Amino acid sequence: MFKDVESTIKALESQQYLCSREIATTVFLAMKMEKPVLVEGPAGVGKTELGKCIASALGMDLIRLQCYEGLDEAKALYEWEYAKQLLYTQILKDKLSALLEGEKTLSDAIARLTAEEDVFFSEKFLIPRPILKSVTAKRPTLLLIDEIDKSDSEFEAFLLEVLSDFQVSIPEIGTIRAERKPFVLLTSNNAREMSDALKRRCLHLYIDFPSMDLEERIVTIKVPECGERLVSELVAAVHRIRELPLKKGPSISESLDWAKALTLLGCDVLRRDLAIDTLNFILKYEKDIELVKKHSADVFAH
Amino acid sequence: MHYATEEQRRGTLKILEFVRILKDADVRVSPVEVIDVFGALGHVDFTSRAVFKQALSTTLIKDYTDIPIFERCFGEFFDRRPADEADASLAVFRGAQADGAEGEGLPSGDELREAGDAIDAYIDGLPDETLATLSARDIVNLILDDESLASSSGALGMMVMNARSRRGRSESDADEEGDDAALTFIIGRVRRRLRERNIGRSIRAREEYLLNKYIYQLKPAEVQEMRELVRRFGQKLKNRISLRKKRVKHGGLDVKRTLRSNLAHGGIPFRLYYRDKKIDRPQLVVLCDISSSVNQYSRFMLLLTYTLQGLFSKVRTFAFISNMVEITPLFMEMDPERALNSIFTDTSFTYGFGSNYGRCFNQFIDDYSDSLGRKTTVLVLGDARNNNQDPGMNSFIRIKESSRNIFWLNPDRRHLWDWSDSIAGLYAAHCTEMKEVNNFLDLSEFIDRLFK
Repeated sequence: MFKDVESTIKALESQQYLCSREIATTVFLAMKMEKPVLVEGPAGVGKTELGKCIASALGMDLIRLQCYEGLDEAKALYEWEYAKQLLYTQILKDKLSALLEGEKTLSDAIARLTAEEDVFFSEKFLIPRPILKSVTAKRPTLLLIDEIDKSDSEFEAFLLEVLSDFQVSIPEIGTIRAERKPFVLLTSNNAREMSDALKRRCLHLYIDFPSMDLEERIVTIKVPECGERLVSELVAAVHRIRELPLKKGPSISESLDWAKALTLLGCDVLRRDLAIDTLNFILKYEKDIELVKKHSADVFAH
Repeated sequence: MHYATEEQRRGTLKILEFVRILKDADVRVSPVEVIDVFGALGHVDFTSRAVFKQALSTTLIKDYTDIPIFERCFGEFFDRRPADEADASLAVFRGAQADGAEGEGLPSGDELREAGDAIDAYIDGLPDETLATLSARDIVNLILDDESLASSSGALGMMVMNARSRRGRSESDADEEGDDAALTFIIGRVRRRLRERNIGRSIRAREEYLLNKYIYQLKPAEVQEMRELVRRFGQKLKNRISLRKKRVKHGGLDVKRTLRSNLAHGGIPFRLYYRDKKIDRPQLVVLCDISSSVNQYSRFMLLLTYTLQGLFSKVRTFAFISNMVEITPLFMEMDPERALNSIFTDTSFTYGFGSNYGRCFNQFIDDYSDSLGRKTTVLVLGDARNNNQDPGMNSFIRIKESSRNIFWLNPDRRHLWDWSDSIAGLYAAHCTEMKEVNNFLDLSEFIDRLFK
C-alpha cells in the first residue's frame, strides 16, 4: 500500500514508470478508498503499463483479463466443468443405482437424488476464470481488465457486482466474497462509452500525452543509451508533430521506438534528413508522413 | 450537520457549491460521486493544487468529454479567487483611512470576512426564481433595505448602516469615505457572488446559444468555438447512440455452434449459444453541396458525420458544386479538419458556374450508383438552388428508388423553398423527407432519429 501521493510517484518510478502527480493522486486514492479505476486516454500512453507497474511496485499478483467482442461470463468469471461432471456421473453410475435402490417410487428416487445434487455443483467442478480468481486470491492481487471497450455491453453487467462489492454470485453455490479485495484497474480506448452504472463505481483517470519535461524523463529512463541532446530534440519534435492535424499522432511508445532506432543509427543530434527517413516509426499513415514532411522546416531544428 | 471546525464547514459548503456549478453546466454528478469526493479529500493533502484538483476530477468527472468543462469551472471557481481577497477589500477601507477619514470604526480582516459571508448567505437564502429576476443593483438595494440585517449586531449590520447613510446623500457629498467604502464593498461582494453562482449556467447558456444559432450566421471566432463543441457533442451523441444500439442483440439458438462445442460432452447440450441478431446499422451516402451559399453548413455536417462514422456500417461521402467528386478517401487518411480544408481549397468541384444539382445527380448515377443499396440511407445537403438549370429529375428518382430512404437537409428556411432559383419543392416530392436544418441542434436531432 502506498503511503501518500509522493511515495506513489517514487514507487512507480522505481519500476521505471514516470507519472504525473495527477495519475499518482488517482492511484493513491483508489487504493485508500478501495475503488476500481477506469483509465481512459489515447492509445500508447501507458495505460496497461500503469497496471503492470503498480502490481510489481507493491509485489502484487497480476491477473490480466483481455477483453474482446463476445467475451462472456464463462471466460471471465467462472465455468462449470461439464466434461468432468459427465465423467463422474458415468464412473459413479453403480454407486448411484446403489444409492437409489431403496427408493420405491420414481418421485422418492428423485427426492433422494436432489438431496445429493450439491455434490455435482460444488467448487470441485468449478473452473475459476480471471475475475473469480482475483476474488478468491489469498495474496494481494491486481486485476487488470484491459480494453473493456472491446467487450459487449452485456459483459459490463457481470462486472458491476465485482466492482462494487468485490464478490461473485454463483446461483448453484451462493456468493463468493473477496477476503482480500483486489485492486481493479480497467482500461479503455474509448471505442465505445461505458454505462453510467459502471462509471459510478469507479474513479476516473484520463491519461493524456505527457508534458515535454515528463516525456524527456520517460525517454531517458527507458532508453538510457540515448544521448541527452537527442532526447530533448526528439521530444520537442514529437510535441510539435502532435500539434499538426494528424489522423493519428505519435504515442509515447512510438517516441521510445524512434529514440531506440535513432540511437542504433548512431545519432546524437536529430538531423532533419534522417528524421524524415525514420518518420514511419512514429507515424502510421502515409498522408500524416507527407504532412510532417511539408512542415519539416518548423518541426525539426537542424 | 455538525462540523468539527469552522474551516471544515466552509470547505464542505464550497465543494457542494462547486458540484452545483458542474450540474448547472450540464455535467452529470450522482450522489454517490459527491460522497466519494469527501471520502477522497480525507486521504490527501489538499493544499497542493494539483492533488486537490485531481481528487475532485477523478471522483466527479466520469465522462472524458466533460473534462474541458470541469477545467473551466475549476479555473473560474477556485483559481479566480485570490486567497487574500479579504485583504484586497480591506485595502479599500485602508485607502479611505489614508485619505483622512477617522481611524475608528474601520472593520478588521475578520469582520470583513464575516460581512462577506453574511452577504453570500443572504443571496443564497433568496429563492432561485426571485434571484433570476434580480440585477446586482436590485440585490444591493434589498440588502440595504433589510431591517433585520441593519439591526443585527454583526459586521454586516454595521456596514449596512454606513452604506445606508451614504446612499441617502447625493454623489457630490462624499465626505465620509468609510461609508463609501462600505457601499463599494457590498456591491463588489454581491457581484462576485452572482458571478460565482452563475459559472455553470453561463457555460451552458453559451453552448445552447451556439448550438441554436443559424450556422451561416456564426462569426469567425464562434466557428472555432463551435468546432470544439461539435467534436464534444458529436462524441456524446455517438456514445449515447452506441449504448442504445447494443441493447437489442440476442437472437435465436445457434444450433450449429451449440452442437459443435458440446460434442466434447457427448453431444449433451450443456452450453447453449445464441445467434446474434444483426445490428441494423445503416449505410450512409452523403451528398454535400459545398458551394459558397451553404459551405459553412456542409463543413459542420461533414465533421459530425465523421465523428459518428463508427455508428454506420459504411459511410461514403461525395461533394459537389457542379461536379460530383468522392471525398471518402480523404477522410480515411487524414484528420477530418485537414480533410475539410483540402476539400474547400480544391477546385475540381466546379464545372461552369454555380451549383448544378441536375448535372451532379446524373453524374452520380453514372459513376457511383454502386454505392446505393437496400440498406443505404442517402443524405443530401444543400439549398437546392439550381441556378435555373436542368434538375436531373430522372437521376434523382433513380437514386431514391435504389436506396432505402433519402433525406434532404435544407439550410434555407421553409418559406424560402421554391423562391427565386430554388427548386426545393420539386425534389422534396421525391424525398422521404426534406427537412429544414439550420443549426447544430437540429442536425444532431436528425442524426439521433436515424437510429430509432
